[in-house]
Amino acid sequence: MLFGKIKISFDKNRKHFQNGGKLKNLYPLFEALEAFFFSPENITKEGPHLRDSIDLKRFMSFVVIALLPTFFFGIYNAGYQANLIAGFSLDFWAAFSKGLVIVLPLVFVSYSVGFFWEILFASIRKHKISEGFLVTGLLFPLTLPPTIPLWQAALGISFGVVIGKEIFGGTGRNILNPALTGRAFLFFAYPAKMTGESVWTVVYKLKDQSVDIVSGATPLAVSALAGINDNIEVLLAQKGYSFLRLFTGTYPGSIGETSAMLCIAGAVFLMVTGIASYRIILGGILGVLSTGYLLNMVAGDSSAAWLSINPFYHLVMGGFAFGISFMATDPVSAPGMENVKWVYGFAIGVLTVLIRVFNPAYSEGVMMAILFMNLFAPLLDYVEIKFRLKKRVPNV
Amino acid sequence: MILLNIKKGFDLKIEGSPLPELRELKKPAFVAFLPEIIPFIKPRLLVKTGDMVRIGSTLFIDKRNPDIKFLSPGSGKIETINYGPRRVIKEIIIKLDNKEEFVEFDVNKFSGNNEYNRDDIIKSMMDGGIWPFIRELPFRDIAVPDFKPQVLIVSLDNKEPFQPDPQVYLKEEINLFKTGISILKNLVKDVYVHSSKDFINIDMADNLVTHKFSGSYPADDPGVLLHRIRKDPSENRIWYINGQDVLLLGCFFSTGRYPVKRTVALAGSLAKKRMYFNTRIGVPINNLVEGRIADENKARLIAGGIFRGYAASRESFLGFYETSVALLPEGGKSETFGFLRAGYDRPSYSKTFLSYFNRLPLTTDCSLHGEERACVNCGACAKVCPVDILPQFAFKSLVAADIEEALSHGMLDCVDCGLCSYVCTSKIDLCGFFKKAKQVYYKDKS
Repeated sequence: MLFGKIKISFDKNRKHFQNGGKLKNLYPLFEALEAFFFSPENITKEGPHLRDSIDLKRFMSFVVIALLPTFFFGIYNAGYQANLIAGFSLDFWAAFSKGLVIVLPLVFVSYSVGFFWEILFASIRKHKISEGFLVTGLLFPLTLPPTIPLWQAALGISFGVVIGKEIFGGTGRNILNPALTGRAFLFFAYPAKMTGESVWTVVYKLKDQSVDIVSGATPLAVSALAGINDNIEVLLAQKGYSFLRLFTGTYPGSIGETSAMLCIAGAVFLMVTGIASYRIILGGILGVLSTGYLLNMVAGDSSAAWLSINPFYHLVMGGFAFGISFMATDPVSAPGMENVKWVYGFAIGVLTVLIRVFNPAYSEGVMMAILFMNLFAPLLDYVEIKFRLKKRVPNV
Repeated sequence: MILLNIKKGFDLKIEGSPLPELRELKKPAFVAFLPEIIPFIKPRLLVKTGDMVRIGSTLFIDKRNPDIKFLSPGSGKIETINYGPRRVIKEIIIKLDNKEEFVEFDVNKFSGNNEYNRDDIIKSMMDGGIWPFIRELPFRDIAVPDFKPQVLIVSLDNKEPFQPDPQVYLKEEINLFKTGISILKNLVKDVYVHSSKDFINIDMADNLVTHKFSGSYPADDPGVLLHRIRKDPSENRIWYINGQDVLLLGCFFSTGRYPVKRTVALAGSLAKKRMYFNTRIGVPINNLVEGRIADENKARLIAGGIFRGYAASRESFLGFYETSVALLPEGGKSETFGFLRAGYDRPSYSKTFLSYFNRLPLTTDCSLHGEERACVNCGACAKVCPVDILPQFAFKSLVAADIEEALSHGMLDCVDCGLCSYVCTSKIDLCGFFKKAKQVYYKDKS
């Protein structure tokens, strides 16, 4: 058996990684690899003698599974958009293989650079490599435009892992979502590659092509540029962005964010299995819709077109669906108390819409909204715990 | 009668429950008393190796209160006294003779009208060695006799897997139980008898049970009941006793002899015969399990409940309070891609295994099923905690040595049920943190 052979090779090489071995500093790597293939053999020592079958590896794997539809669609869409403007075949396999060429290097860079930092910190601090990075490493490339240079992606994930997580002590101790921290770093450090009209589609030029190809603007950019008398829904429709298309996701944008439909599918999976909090997700959707309707009500004839857009468009455009499903629900950076999770999710929804509508400098608001609310998560917890303990009969 | 619906907690669907079949166990050659596992006491030995003892002779007393005595569960010769590290007394082993001599205690004044002097009862219980069965919340120490609490809770049903079913041990002994309760009523203002609503012994349900609950493990715990009914901090300190120990109390006051009879459950997936035995306090574990283990090398012997009990060796003896022995697979076998299994046969509190749809009892072993990680704040522990502690926050304040914060979270309300440790995704032994912190706090206070 293949796995029998792998097991033997682990057993054979173990001595090099243990105390006294040449590679003892890399023991966390060895251990993480072994635990990936073979579940560990440790047992309970005292009561409770039994433990639940779930562990953090399974917990995090479920998020990765929930991300897979979005991931594969992101690959297809990146290839599809590139082929569309280059005039190549739009056949599924042509688009998908083009997408693989665009996306896989990014994912590879994200995982390898990120794991490098994880292993470095684990080796120096002598702790185990946590599974949290399985998710971060996949989330991060999905939030990037497909044209991002690989070295920038490497820099972004390094910032996210080191500053966003490891300096606080690693998985479980970070304040901000590491993947979003990395993205925010790139957003402010290299705005030319993170914003604007030209970054959302990879442009392939044929040798004999003389005319520059212009890539399409994202729906959010279209909306942000709308004049006072414009109707954004009509403008979007003119560009070919019907509501249905925005919902299914075949439009230019960050790799993983475009398909609201598949993000919702992932979110439903996570909510049903109890990995993600339905309170945060539903709270976020409520926040977007209620703010959207409120803005509709205050919108007058001379106010910006953004104010009178149908609020459901906010749900399907840009990264909101992706962010609220996979980023906001990160249990480490979200509040731990059940009731304030509603507040947290709701505030993310509200802030997303407010940033989109009132701040023309950032066409996208969900990243800032989530990071901002990450900072407030401990305060929200603090308030709810105070209320809860006040009701408790003291016992000291 | 008050009906309570206790929503939190968790019933583990585990294979190996004992059948309601009761059998007499042959008289053992040795019995023993295990002072080490009785929490908080400071024993002072009154016997030495070679001494002859009768059933009811004093073996040792508690230095904290010399009136609290621990008596010999057998008549015969003290065979050996085993010490552990730092001279802790582990086992006092008695070789039984055939005479079965008793020390007779005078209980004549407790016959008749059910109303007795409280101090007389306490004195008799202390002399008769049955006082230690009454314990005190929040520390679960032996009750302090000078204190008069409002309430004493008799907890009848045992929701922890494999604990003896009250319907088995009460079946023939209902009169002893009634005697015990009538004695207890003189000690405190109210005696609450706390029982599951599934418990259907009609003869006593109508008369004695005061609180009936529906709910999962550990809804039967006196601490959980107290958490539900108390309104004031003065009610935190109350007494409780286990249902089976009430029988011993009744037995003592009707015969004047130190009672040694125990009904012990033998259970677990590795037990060939899962049933109850009538035996005595301090029985050698080997007598219970010999010839009844399905796989000798793989089995872990757990005395006193799979959540709160301790792993015992076959050469050891059953403790003073323990009434069950569970045989479970030790586990520790690695699996290829263990974390990706669909898991129709894997018990879990989470909804990430197909076992969510499986109603059958499942076999499980003592593996951790993962490695310890930092807490990711998933909140499973807070969902399951029966006394509404926020274990994920309380344990972090203990790690930061902020015991005041942990106390304000209700650390002392913790009933040691172990469910927070069980459900933890990161395999953190949260309950262990609370147990240790409570011990430290207890020592600081006294």
